[in-house]
Amino acid sequence: MSHIRETQLTTYLVENQARFYRLAYSYLHNREDALDAVQAAVCKALEKQDSLKDADAMRTWFYRILVNVCTDQLRGRKREALAAPEDLDPGSYEDPLPGDDALARRVEALPPELRTVIELRFYEELPLKEISAVLGCPLSTVKTRLYTGLKKLRVSLEGEEV
Amino acid sequence: MNEFKEAKQVYEETPIPAELDQRVRAGIRQGKAKRARRAWGRRLGTVAACFAVVVGALNLSPTMASAAADIPVLGGLFQILTVRSYTDENADRTLEVEQPAVTGSDFADAVSAEIQERVDAKTAEGEQLVAEYKDAFLATGGSQEEWEQHDITVSVSYDIKSQTDTVVSFLVESNVSFSNAYWERTYYNLDLAADKDLTLRDLLGEDWVTICNDSIRTQMAADPSVYFDESMGGFTTVDETTSFYIAQAGNPVVVFPPYAVAPGVMGYVEFEISR
Repeated sequence: MSHIRETQLTTYLVENQARFYRLAYSYLHNREDALDAVQAAVCKALEKQDSLKDADAMRTWFYRILVNVCTDQLRGRKREALAAPEDLDPGSYEDPLPGDDALARRVEALPPELRTVIELRFYEELPLKEISAVLGCPLSTVKTRLYTGLKKLRVSLEGEEV
Repeated sequence: MNEFKEAKQVYEETPIPAELDQRVRAGIRQGKAKRARRAWGRRLGTVAACFAVVVGALNLSPTMASAAADIPVLGGLFQILTVRSYTDENADRTLEVEQPAVTGSDFADAVSAEIQERVDAKTAEGEQLVAEYKDAFLATGGSQEEWEQHDITVSVSYDIKSQTDTVVSFLVESNVSFSNAYWERTYYNLDLAADKDLTLRDLLGEDWVTICNDSIRTQMAADPSVYFDESMGGFTTVDETTSFYIAQAGNPVVVFPPYAVAPGVMGYVEFEISR
């Protein structure tokens, strides 16, 4: 039984590795760090596979591990060094965001908690409920972050159901 | 929403490094190995529990005890085993307790009672620390959500250093995972035949202080750069409060906590004293 589960898990991890890497990269903006994060998350997933109660929830469960590994890395980085002002991406502190830039750039420039919600929703196409499970915060918070993010991006949803 | 389709395309064009597959497979291997190691720990726990039942039976029945004394392995297998091993999890912390007990004599019972008291005190202290930390965390702007992402463990465990027919040496270790400052070790060296706590004097004789100090200085001199010198508050002398345990060969091993005689990175520093 648990053997089948493990095979299922490794298959899922190997098949979707590119998605994981992209998500990690969008957090860390660094090739080596993103590779480290994916490897660490995969290792954790195998180690703690018994905490996955329901095989259908595998995606949510793993994204949560991955997002936690990435935010931990970011937090560690903040402690390590403060970037010199000239190294900062202007997008990270200039507000309002440059409207003429491509949307992808503007998403990148969002504060991390808003960006994650936008990315999971529109790039990874996760339903809001699943995003709430991945991030471990209430659905209402996810909605607030989504709408705040969209407002900052100046994208109107025009009747779109999200 | 077309805008997002474009953005998604840009996102999906993130170049994927060639070694990603290799790294994922490495992660899978590591994770499997780690899990196997943990499972082995759990199994050992079960084995210990089985022995506890055997020992319980030995202590209840004199006939069985005298019969078992003739079996070499069981006879040597001393009456120190886990009596309580449990984990308890709530929103704030995980509690992991492995509590040893010694049986066999009145003195051993007194020691067990003392261990029990210590373990309970350590557990309560750990819980208190977690509660205080939580209050401080929330008071300084941390949110409940962020708090819940912490995975705090309060653990109490033990390790048997050596045992013979009459003497047992073990350590009880307690730890609260958010800070190494709450990592504590208490050593017990018991002579069950004589019903007493063994001291370094018992093991080394009247000259125990000189013997220890000479031996420790000689061992430190072999690698002087590692240790603090006296001007830095380093080693001066052993005394009655110095911790030690008894190695399997019967030699006492003196233990200094981190920062006592060497930089913290050295962790606990041990010196075996030859008899």
